[in-house]
Amino acid sequence: MRAVEDALGITIPQNAQIIRNLIEGSQYVQDHVIHFYHLHALDWVDITGALKADPAGTAKLAQSISDWPNSSEAHFKGVQNRVKTFVESGQLGLFANAYWGHPAYKLPPEANLMAVAHYLEALDWQRDVIRVHAILGAKNPHPQTYLVGGMALPIDPNSQNALNADKLALMKQLLAKARVFVEKVYIPDLLAVAPFYKDWAGVGGGVGNFLAYGEFPLTPNNTERLFLPRGVILNKDLTKVLPMDHQKVSEYVTRSWYDYAGGDGKALHPWDGETAPHYTGPKPPYDSMVGDGAKYSWLKAPRYDGNAMEVGPLARMLVAYGSGVKPVVDTVNLVLKTLGVGPEALFSTLGRTAARGVETLVLAQQIESWVDALAANIKRGDLKTHNGDKWDPSKWPSEAKGFGFFEAPRGALGHWVRIKDGAIANYQCVVPSTWNGSPRDASNKRGAWEEALVGTPVTDPERPIEILRTVHSFDPCMACAVHVVDTHGREVTRIKVV
Amino acid sequence: MPKVAIDPITRIEGHLRLEVQVDGGKVTDAWSSSTMFRGMELVLKGRDPRDAWLFTQRI
Repeated sequence: MRAVEDALGITIPQNAQIIRNLIEGSQYVQDHVIHFYHLHALDWVDITGALKADPAGTAKLAQSISDWPNSSEAHFKGVQNRVKTFVESGQLGLFANAYWGHPAYKLPPEANLMAVAHYLEALDWQRDVIRVHAILGAKNPHPQTYLVGGMALPIDPNSQNALNADKLALMKQLLAKARVFVEKVYIPDLLAVAPFYKDWAGVGGGVGNFLAYGEFPLTPNNTERLFLPRGVILNKDLTKVLPMDHQKVSEYVTRSWYDYAGGDGKALHPWDGETAPHYTGPKPPYDSMVGDGAKYSWLKAPRYDGNAMEVGPLARMLVAYGSGVKPVVDTVNLVLKTLGVGPEALFSTLGRTAARGVETLVLAQQIESWVDALAANIKRGDLKTHNGDKWDPSKWPSEAKGFGFFEAPRGALGHWVRIKDGAIANYQCVVPSTWNGSPRDASNKRGAWEEALVGTPVTDPERPIEILRTVHSFDPCMACAVHVVDTHGREVTRIKVV
Repeated sequence: MPKVAIDPITRIEGHLRLEVQVDGGKVTDAWSSSTMFRGMELVLKGRDPRDAWLFTQRI
């Protein structure tokens, strides 16, 4: 969207900008909470341990960290019984595949039960958060109201079929509910669990280079004023946030299953990017696909000025912290102080997981004010959501190129487009998991999570839970980085020790 | 010196294979491999730029 708008020189109306910020901001809050409880927590929380908990102890613990109402002994007893029935049925469903009882689990049973209770509550809660998408985007996922030039969403205070005062009021309610859960459940849980895993503040640091395109423009198409700033940090140096220049982004295919016409040793800027797939890996079944210098991934290897970069909440929070963005600085400092660690602890698996919590809190406390800003515009009589001046291709130059930036919840996402005679001549997407999950490049430099895994302890190679902790801390989305066509249903993870 | 391959990694979105070298109870080297091709760039070639977002949104 932004790539095409950039190429054609389109500025969107302020209302459209605010609506996009609201869709994206509420997406962050929902996505991060889901990631924490449903994709990451079970690396730290042993569900089988929850069965051994004393519900009275869990109630005491929960009440000591938050005044969230669902924290009575009876409530936790009820949750424990539900889990017990589930386990005794022998059909573990989504809990089937895990390393229960692994010695790397450190939480007391009572904390395990609290986390399991909140795992279930978060599932209910998120249904309401995504209703913001139903109001502004017509559906979730894949909102339908985006349009080059703004939003295909009419504002009309006098119509029930348009964005009106009722819908703004409902959104405020939903976003307040989202915020309260983050303040009273997610953040207290994060701060209660983290002290048991402080050794993970020294594991999983990775490349130490961070890239953020920035997000939430506060003025139409103006990248100068972003709520979360744009910038680059190299070698963990928080005192120097460098300006981001997209011309310094390039992709290698030296170790990826693609061919470049000019040879695989040189990186290409995405405007000149090529996508010529050429699989040269082993035929399945295979034990290893990593040979000496062999290609081993469908991901290209993106680099910034030649550096492997980490993207995501940690990158965004570090860039904001280094740039002195007040709510981020205050929240990061509060978390560091509570855990009794210094800023160096941020460069770790635990730091990555904590940064996601910080970002969720900062945004959850901000987005309600964006509804107010939209309401104020409407009150002034500004109902515009679309700029159609350059909708007609007859108004386009014969050739144009654009860069579209976006901070997806899991990290910096860039689109580069070349338009020729009204049609797309080249389009390249460099998504967050391509940065984080990047293979090696021409100089054999590892990608972000390859580097982060080096040094990660593995107590039992047959049950490598520690590897999952570090990889999950990045919130990988291989469905984003690759296109998934799975006709075989669920596979069970194969662990092979060769 | 065991080499561990995890394929696929679960509780993520999509398919990911990891191969790691373990030595003395620690990972000493790692390879991250995406095992499926996306090809969105090829899908978009020649299309109306105003439609691009609807396709890329599905990534």
